[in-house]
Amino acid sequence: MNPRGFYFLILVSPLVLGFFSIFLGRYPVSSSDIFTLFMSFFTGQEINATHFSVIFYVRLPRVLLGALVGGSLAVSGAAFQGLFRNPLVSSGMLGVSSGAGFGAALALILFRDFFYVYPFSFGFGLAAVFLCFFIGRITASTQAITLVLGGVIVGSIFSALISFLKYVADPYDELPAIVFWLMGSLSRAEYSQILTAGIPMVLGATGLFIIRWRLNVLAMGDKQAHSLGINVNLNRIFIIVCATLATAGAVCVSGVIGWVGLVVPHMGRMMIGNNNKDLIPATFCIGATFLVLVDDISRVISSSEMPLGILTSLIGGPFFIYLLKKTKGKEW
Amino acid sequence: MVKQKPSARALLTLENGTFSFGDALIFKGVNLTVSKGETLCLLGPNGCGKTTLIDCILGIHKLNHGRILLNDHPVSKLSAKKIAQMIAYVPQKHNRHFSFSVMEVLLMGRAPYTSFYSSPDDADIQRAESILDALGMSHLRDRDYTRLSGGETQLVMIMRALIQETPVIVMDEPTAHLDFKHELIVLEAIVRLVRERHLTLVMATHFPNHAFYFENAGIPVKVAFMDQQAVHLKGTPFQALTEENLESFYAVKTKVISHALEGKRSLKHIIPIQTLDKQK
Repeated sequence: MNPRGFYFLILVSPLVLGFFSIFLGRYPVSSSDIFTLFMSFFTGQEINATHFSVIFYVRLPRVLLGALVGGSLAVSGAAFQGLFRNPLVSSGMLGVSSGAGFGAALALILFRDFFYVYPFSFGFGLAAVFLCFFIGRITASTQAITLVLGGVIVGSIFSALISFLKYVADPYDELPAIVFWLMGSLSRAEYSQILTAGIPMVLGATGLFIIRWRLNVLAMGDKQAHSLGINVNLNRIFIIVCATLATAGAVCVSGVIGWVGLVVPHMGRMMIGNNNKDLIPATFCIGATFLVLVDDISRVISSSEMPLGILTSLIGGPFFIYLLKKTKGKEW
Repeated sequence: MVKQKPSARALLTLENGTFSFGDALIFKGVNLTVSKGETLCLLGPNGCGKTTLIDCILGIHKLNHGRILLNDHPVSKLSAKKIAQMIAYVPQKHNRHFSFSVMEVLLMGRAPYTSFYSSPDDADIQRAESILDALGMSHLRDRDYTRLSGGETQLVMIMRALIQETPVIVMDEPTAHLDFKHELIVLEAIVRLVRERHLTLVMATHFPNHAFYFENAGIPVKVAFMDQQAVHLKGTPFQALTEENLESFYAVKTKVISHALEGKRSLKHIIPIQTLDKQK
């Protein structure tokens, strides 16, 4: 297949998969029922209220949220990998995931209510990155290496705090809620969340989309980027803010879904190449498709809904090995 | 009105430049002038501050005292973008993290002319193609630049600097780690470009013979020798790179030989004989 055609296919894949995902689920709604539902918009025909709510209030928001979360995590990971010139960096690099996880666990213990989980995890996710930045500032400039080191330190501090909260949590009630939240899920998807958490995700991903070509230049190193006319510190802060907003928005509604922010960008690199001009949009779409697909499988294989954090690795791992074999990892 | 000769116009001036990292003084009281169309060879041992001096010229570090004028504008007051429209930089051998194609790397040279929300356009691709063509490197266009040889990488970096369309190019040891032939290929390319495009070049190098190579090739060249936090001697290679000076600065006993070619030209070259103990 020619490269442009393949690229186009990647870009439309979330739409195609998202459409088919509406047909999948435990509650039996046949394809003809769904077509009748769609047709009713034009014909004004009487509709089945249960079918309507299953499709438009359960499945559709879940598909939309899955696509947004998957895309946001993947695109932030790709941006961080370019910015820090390190292929092992993920969207949670600067501690945003651990911070958000801690915020969620804290909210579950303090209020025992999911309503408070979103602002707490979002807030602590941002706080963690802010802390990293502060650590990076201790040395003269915001050098990439001190930021990465700061991320490792802040991440491990928040991981320790999460363990502490698990230790003190009520083992029959709070502990399972924390553990399940940390494993990630889209099962609480609602339109209100898509609207509130969608704002930072869309803002962040759009910012990264806008600045994507400059990621190429920044990937050449600070000195070369500067000599090519780029204000390195300002651009770095912009990219970190965008990636953090996108990741924190994703994590606060879906929990910690590992793997997407690390490996999906590499899937993109193997399929499209390293040029961020094409890689950033492609990575968003691959991430969106991947997470919707994983969530479909989670919904179909068992009624108890396997947490996504488990499935992303179980499904992504073999696929990644297949890609590695096929492309011989030539993009590294 | 007397028309000023272009070669007399100072494009890059360093006035009483002093720089230190915290307490560590790197250089002080450095004065340098590079005129349009002139090549400055910056010589000096490892760790003498050549690279730091280059970083100051590029605007990455700010001088503690003194100033750098680029076309009469103080570099410290210019944005990275403005500087990059006047000075291009050819780095030393560097870490290559992502496998971009040669074309993608060349297009980065257009970054100073590209706003933050856009990317290079078809005109920029044509610029890159014409420079690839001019240097006979079109076959590299779609190659993975992380898999190029050292010499090819350096030529790609030089081409990227040309696409930046700046009056001045700064090179930091462009021939480091290159084999015998590729060193010459890179030097030949530099001479050709300086001559054809009237470029102003600042080049840090470990090899005094590079200065003679440029002089032999007939391009206007000047030498500055940096050591112990200062620039010590300046002048044409013929004036500066004498056997006495080489002995006192490098502590190496040398012979400068001259090989007559047809016409008035002669090739000069330094033959090292033996190192001397500097403590003596």
